[in-house]
Amino acid sequence: MSDSANIDDTLNELNKEIESASLHSDESIESFRIRFLGKKQGRITGLMKRIPEVDPGDRKAFGQRVNALKSRAMERIETAQNAAQTQAVTSNDLDLSLPGRTLPEGSVHPLTQTHRLIIRVFESYGFTVEEGPEIEDDWHNFTALNFPPDHPARDMQDTFFIEAPSDKHDGILLRTHTSPVQIRVLQSQKPPIRVIVPGRVYRNEAISYKSYCLFHQVEGLYVDENVSMGDLKHILHVFARVLFGEDVRMRFRPSFFPFTEPSAEVDIWWKDDSLPGGGRWLEILGCGMVDPNVLSAVGVDPERYTGYAFGMGIERIAMLRYGIEDIRILYENDERFLSQFA
Amino acid sequence: MIISNHWLSDYVSHDLSVDDLAELLTMCGLEVEGIVQIGSSLDGVVIGHVLTCEPHPNADRLRLCSVKIGEAEPITIVCGAPNVEAGQKIAVATIGSVLHMPSREDPNEKIAVTVRKSKIRGEVSFGMICSEVELGVGDDQDGILVLDHEAPVGEAFSDWISEEGVPLVDHAIDIAITPNRPDAVCHVGVARDVAALTGKQLKMPEIDIPDHGKAATDEFSVTIEATDVCQEYVGILVRDIRVDESPRWLKQRLLAVGLRPRNNIVDITNYVMYELGQPLHGFDFDTLADSKIIVRKTSGETEFVTLDGNKRTLPAGTMMIADGERDIAIAGIMGGENSEVTRETTSVLIESAYFDPVQIRRTARKLQIQTDASYRFERGVDPCAQARAAARAAELMVRLAGGTLVPGMVSARSVTVKPTRVTLRRARANALIGVDLPAAKMVSLLEAIGFEIQISDDEESFDCTIPTFRPDIEREVDIIEEVARLYGFDKIPEPVRSSVPDHAVEIPAQRLLREDIRDRLAALGFRELYTNSMLRLETAEAFQVDILPGGRLGGNIVKTLNPISQEMAALRPSLLPGTLAIAGYNANHGRKSLRYFEIGNVQIRAHSNESIIDGYTEKELLLLVVSGDDAASGLHQDVRKMDYFDLKGVAETLLRAVHLAEVRFESGTSQFPVASSYSIITSVGEYVGVLGELSASIRKQYDIPAPLFFLELDWSTISRLAEPFLRKRYEAFSRFPVVERDLAVTVGANTPVGKLLQQIRESGKPLLSGVSVFDLYEGDQIDSTMKSVAFSLKFSADRTLVDKEVDLCFDGIVKVLKSESGAELRR
Repeated sequence: MSDSANIDDTLNELNKEIESASLHSDESIESFRIRFLGKKQGRITGLMKRIPEVDPGDRKAFGQRVNALKSRAMERIETAQNAAQTQAVTSNDLDLSLPGRTLPEGSVHPLTQTHRLIIRVFESYGFTVEEGPEIEDDWHNFTALNFPPDHPARDMQDTFFIEAPSDKHDGILLRTHTSPVQIRVLQSQKPPIRVIVPGRVYRNEAISYKSYCLFHQVEGLYVDENVSMGDLKHILHVFARVLFGEDVRMRFRPSFFPFTEPSAEVDIWWKDDSLPGGGRWLEILGCGMVDPNVLSAVGVDPERYTGYAFGMGIERIAMLRYGIEDIRILYENDERFLSQFA
Repeated sequence: MIISNHWLSDYVSHDLSVDDLAELLTMCGLEVEGIVQIGSSLDGVVIGHVLTCEPHPNADRLRLCSVKIGEAEPITIVCGAPNVEAGQKIAVATIGSVLHMPSREDPNEKIAVTVRKSKIRGEVSFGMICSEVELGVGDDQDGILVLDHEAPVGEAFSDWISEEGVPLVDHAIDIAITPNRPDAVCHVGVARDVAALTGKQLKMPEIDIPDHGKAATDEFSVTIEATDVCQEYVGILVRDIRVDESPRWLKQRLLAVGLRPRNNIVDITNYVMYELGQPLHGFDFDTLADSKIIVRKTSGETEFVTLDGNKRTLPAGTMMIADGERDIAIAGIMGGENSEVTRETTSVLIESAYFDPVQIRRTARKLQIQTDASYRFERGVDPCAQARAAARAAELMVRLAGGTLVPGMVSARSVTVKPTRVTLRRARANALIGVDLPAAKMVSLLEAIGFEIQISDDEESFDCTIPTFRPDIEREVDIIEEVARLYGFDKIPEPVRSSVPDHAVEIPAQRLLREDIRDRLAALGFRELYTNSMLRLETAEAFQVDILPGGRLGGNIVKTLNPISQEMAALRPSLLPGTLAIAGYNANHGRKSLRYFEIGNVQIRAHSNESIIDGYTEKELLLLVVSGDDAASGLHQDVRKMDYFDLKGVAETLLRAVHLAEVRFESGTSQFPVASSYSIITSVGEYVGVLGELSASIRKQYDIPAPLFFLELDWSTISRLAEPFLRKRYEAFSRFPVVERDLAVTVGANTPVGKLLQQIRESGKPLLSGVSVFDLYEGDQIDSTMKSVAFSLKFSADRTLVDKEVDLCFDGIVKVLKSESGAELRR
């Protein structure tokens, strides 16, 4: 290569061609690439190959100009490719405001959610979950729990009775509470015992906004040496703070359950500015110290061991937490209700 | 039970506002469930004199009265009462006065009403002439209250009524009495707790108790034949009584506690029951044959007419009160019509007895009647209070009904009552409650409710004599409860920290899996349901089918003996019917895409190795159903109805998630009305559930528009089978390349693809690491009796496979498919 003016013209022309090439499609970009940068026929590639042939004096300048052309060509390709890609996405009349491909929405029932919350609190305090049968016998459901036969205490829980499978069995019933599991646990384990018992229980009561023929209970039992009512208050206070907030106000008032002595009911203060006094006390659970007769019935020495028990309705807690006023809605399973708990 | 605050103050001057009193009672175990104000201050209500009483010009049933209410000019009042007449002294609520009147919606609720000047049918009325109910001083609402002629005109009505012993304002306090408080079903019992907690004196009514004998024994006799169920029977006779209305104060007290006044004799027996807790009965003495009272039991089934006019059939062994010839009362429950006190009665025999609680309870339950008397007897009345209560009633009958007491009384007793004595250990009480009360404190708490206590020398134990009105207290722990109750549960300190167990909680597999599956299913788009366990017997029977996990157990449906209704007479053998009802409900409310699950127990009357109660088996099941559209909108894809394979895919995912081994779906061949088609699912040959399509007829019954597919799994069994897999360990996997080959074969159109897959898996061992179906073709290209199935095969090993060995394995598979299923390789 001797004619530097000629070279100059070639380079200028090449530059013009690079700048003026129309790169509107993938095809035109590809042919541009082949025309200028192709391994075999590419014109810039060809010039690059000829760099060694150039006079040593001009070689450096020539090399720089060819490299500049190469960079420029590559730059154009990149810009055009980016533009083509952007165009590809925004073309075809794609309306990005359309909704996405939805997946079906599932949900865990609010009673399960409340159940889990309750269990979580007590599990973190070392209580183990135990379960028991919904069909029970009179002994586990009543007698062993210190409900004497023909005692008015039996009126406290309206019972569904079930036909006995044979003459040698009687008093088969749907459990009215989860407390019979206390008996089953005390029969099969040795103290210290710390269990929590969730489950479905049945009451033969007219169905209304505040009662259903069945509900779910969570029962707690702790039997050990030196368990006191103070311990009972402590654990339930912990529980109430988790469910109803750090500043929850609660009170224990004396009550009666055959299987605990002393027995108490626990209320929490429910703020409601529309009420005189700014709120009211709402009962959330029943509890007490395990009656010595219960311990004796299952062969645990009531002189050595004491314990506490408590029980609450999951429905009641759920209704309080979610502001549900009619228990029946929990069993209606209307999707407009369930979808709120997704 | 309702307590009148005003009546209560006869026995304790407590100085508490009614709200504070309610709080005090609630916190000592007598839970107040409601407070209703009775009456009002009656400011502005004055005594008036009706001067004239003319017909209202524009209304037939109204009168225009001119009423003098003092010095000033008479006022005009429009009055609608039928009994208003000129010349009457009446109570006038003047303009601005506030009355507590029964609400129109609920007569038991009282609302405050201000009397205003008003125009009634064109005539202006300047006040209101009041009835007893409007004033809150009685129950007569049929007409206005007419006062004595001496009533001073213009004076405040409140002064006049107070002189009659009727409070202007009272509160009816409704207390929920727990079964352990038989002492608290009367005013004195409640007053005793109030006195103990406020440090005030309990003022018992002064009663002269006559001695057994004297004239009374000459007049009548009492014999207890049923000595096992009647501990004591006291009779007192009052002669020359005049049966009439009770005085206003007495009626008002009964009204306040929710009793309807009848006549002075019946009212007095009720009054004493609500005062002292002892139920009484009054017999018309002149109706008694041979002047005899006999307590006995019926020997056979007996008919008896009670004083409410009902003829009742009494079972053998019912405790009765009889005279010389016949039964005259069902003991402790209700008197008989043949001996009841009437307007003509002049002599009353007052019965005050102690009947056995269990006997009374059984009879009341058999006869399905609960009376104020049976309620108290079955809880246990004070066994030493019979004579006192009878004497109290006799004294009131003398005072209020003009009677003459026949001196003495007749008392028959089958048992001598000895007070219970129990030792209380101070340390035990403190340990159980979690306090450190000194001996003196415990003693003072207990003495305040009638305990007599002897303290040991070291002050560590107390010999307690339990008052006879507390039959519920028999053991040391019962006394500890009293200490805690009176001390105040709220004062018991909570420990600052508590101990924790020495091992972490272990969560059993069944629950772990259950909770995990709930979350997985929710994430897969299923909604969890909670449905009723109780349903119609016919429905339950329709779903007790061999292919379902519950029905497989055989046996019968579990029935309740005392169902709420026939709609809920049986227990579910399957979760399906409950969920189908919900599916129909939501479909009817516009849901087009239904995906539900429920985890719950079913019950079958059949004995199995899972039985806890003999003869019954309970199983935990998991049910899934899908029905309707597979997607919420057809925007990005075509919407289609969900089918068997939608749910089968979920089933496969689910069973893989619990790592069940060798899961197989075997198409069912027998017909069942519940399913139009189904597959039985097994794991290592053991039944774990069923997947099927609900039959169209049942689907119609439940009003479900689109085909519905169900998967009911025996969760108890799955949890058991899955448990070993929960302790899974890592297995090394091959990092060498996987070789993929496609295999297309033609087979008979009836050959199940599942069978081919199984043959491929078996014959491809050990190199074959995966197989899936990617195409299925029946049509013009091939013989109409044939179909083409295309599989994608994956081969791998712990080395790089060479083509030759893959070919060998592939050919082996082809050979087996040909020999076992007649499959031809398709080129």
